Amino acid sequence: MSQTNIADTSAGKRVMWTYMLTGLGIFFLMVLVGIAMRAAQAGWIGIDPGTFYSLLSLHGIGMITAMAIAGLGILWYFVSRYTPLNQGVAFLAYGFFLAGVASVIISVIPGHYGALWTALYPLPFTGTYWPNWATGAWLIGNSLVMIGFMIWCAQILGALLARFGGVRGILAIDYVFKNREFTQSGKEPPPPEMFAAAITAIDGFIGGTAGLLVVVALIVHWIDPSVAIDPLWAKNLIYQFGHTFANLTMYMAVAGVYVGLPMCTKRAYHTSIPLAIAWWGTLTFVIIAYFHHLYMDFAQLQFVQYVGEISSYLAAIPVVVVTVFGGVMLVHRSGMKWSVGSMFLFAGMIGWVVGGLGAVLDATIPINIELHNTLWVPAHFHTYLLEGVLLFIMGWAFVNLEQRAGSASSLLTRWLIGTGMFGGGALFLLPFYIAGADGVPRRYATEPTPGPYYAGVATVGAAILLLGFLLAIIEAVRLARSKNTSVAA
Amino acid sequence: MSVKKILGWIILALTVLVALIPLVRGAVEIPIPQHHLIHAALIAGGLLSALLLATPSRDVGSGHYGWLLLAVFSPFAAMLLMWPSEYAWYERHASGHILEHLGILGLGFITGYAGQRYAAGVGWATGLSVVFMAVASAWGFGVAHAISPMVTTGTTAQSAATSAAQMLRSPDLALGGKLFAQNCAVCHGAHGVGGEGPSLIAEKSRKNFAQAQQWIMNPSPPMPKFYPAVLTRSDVRDVAAYIETL
Repeated sequence: MSQTNIADTSAGKRVMWTYMLTGLGIFFLMVLVGIAMRAAQAGWIGIDPGTFYSLLSLHGIGMITAMAIAGLGILWYFVSRYTPLNQGVAFLAYGFFLAGVASVIISVIPGHYGALWTALYPLPFTGTYWPNWATGAWLIGNSLVMIGFMIWCAQILGALLARFGGVRGILAIDYVFKNREFTQSGKEPPPPEMFAAAITAIDGFIGGTAGLLVVVALIVHWIDPSVAIDPLWAKNLIYQFGHTFANLTMYMAVAGVYVGLPMCTKRAYHTSIPLAIAWWGTLTFVIIAYFHHLYMDFAQLQFVQYVGEISSYLAAIPVVVVTVFGGVMLVHRSGMKWSVGSMFLFAGMIGWVVGGLGAVLDATIPINIELHNTLWVPAHFHTYLLEGVLLFIMGWAFVNLEQRAGSASSLLTRWLIGTGMFGGGALFLLPFYIAGADGVPRRYATEPTPGPYYAGVATVGAAILLLGFLLAIIEAVRLARSKNTSVAA
Repeated sequence: MSVKKILGWIILALTVLVALIPLVRGAVEIPIPQHHLIHAALIAGGLLSALLLATPSRDVGSGHYGWLLLAVFSPFAAMLLMWPSEYAWYERHASGHILEHLGILGLGFITGYAGQRYAAGVGWATGLSVVFMAVASAWGFGVAHAISPMVTTGTTAQSAATSAAQMLRSPDLALGGKLFAQNCAVCHGAHGVGGEGPSLIAEKSRKNFAQAQQWIMNPSPPMPKFYPAVLTRSDVRDVAAYIETL
């Protein structure tokens, strides 16, 4: 698809910024919740266990939803550059997201729901310290987010199928298998960011289906307790949705690298055969990689445990290798000037590799026996989200703002933001890894020694990271206000 | 009319005929998983006919998002119609059963039709989604499998697993009725019509399922307490479920 066909629209940008700012706003609130929890685990502030589990529930689902909303906005804008999209649908989905978030907040703040995002059956219904309505509000909130996500996926899927010639076109099947004929006919494969959009829409639809099924079943059980639910069935479905949704946040945000880095380097990021095949790997395996969450479930069929391990490798490794290699080659000797935007996009690739490596290690069965449900697990996904997804989102935002302003941030500002985001991030994340390797369990309000010591270090790290984030926001506002109309956005 | 459309109408007609089977078959109790699978077949029939009958839209930029909403909400509604605890009632009431079948079939049709009208290809995605939901329901929605005793070596662990498994299965109405006749009917009358104790007819409107169980486990005098000496926790659920049907 020729790059000359790109059409920037104000509607596209409106949707993108609305989604992105909402996502970053929720992220900020969730960081405060996260810092409070780590400080409580360090013994620095007092939070009773019930409140802790309510906050943990809010933090977990809030962070993933925040990153997803921001990422979906970016992808929506990218797709809108190739095919007209109705912004009413995007705002309808957005309305569902907001309603879902509101319902979740109601279930947690006045309701004290505390069964975490997994709501593992029969946990949210039996022996709870919160009222029954809070469980209902949680489930309804989840279903609203899922419906919003399904609306987004259906819109994007329809647009991509129409624009790029069906599934064959959007997945570049002819480009891979009949490459010579394809290129000789003057055709071009979809640009890299369209793979990210297609995989998000397709796998998102599959994950949303699983999520909606289990949430409907749980809502029915909430209304009518005589309806039994199979616990293992529910766990499979909830993790299929949850793991896929969380993983897809990365694939949404990585589209920012495909578009943002070329803007910084003045070089194009082309679709290649390895890139297309790597994305096929993600498309196929990301929906079944979740089995690695059920390694300890003895009732699970044994062969799917191996499927989970292999899928975890194949979903992530090819696309990371191809994308990062392409990104590094793009930057290499390009004469690119470092700015906050390019720094975030480049550092995000490092965070993706480190977090992904942590995930791959944890998905390896002999290692998982040691690390399962230790702090290693939050170590890898916090790396993935904070130093990967978040940086890609902020990197893309900064690249836009810098181009719009026609100027970049000062060296001192870059250093301060970098020190906060990467230095604070490292200080926050390393204690998770070390404590996890030490066997400190996750999801406990009170951690055994040496957990509280590591929690203290992590609290300091998270506070520094928050300062870096706030500084970045202030710098973003400055760039936004110093608009240079002579420079094209 | 094209061959494709004729085929669509034929499939729709055949699926409607399948939906009408309860009219001629009478009241037959079908286990919940099989019932879900029959519904999945109705949805699949409705979907297939919709995909053949709909004229797909090639334009996604100009709106029509009413179709999109229908396509996304219909699977949700179909799942709510597949409310497992209502299946026993449907099996006793043929006309209600037919309406339920037609509703499920219709939602399968709408899912595919509306999806295609929104944008070509979307009907396949939303349609496959609802078929998957209906099929997957057979393994856990209103159904709970016994916990494998593979890790139980001692009798305590085994009995704990068995007890947990009993609690996770759907209530057994037949067993509940039998236990009611043995322990409750002497005061509440046969079929709960009342006697020395109050009538339990329409007790469902006064106590929900959880409250009914709580009452049986911790009754106020003069009602005797049967739990846990006479009735197990699982028996209490079965009896409460039976009372909810009166």
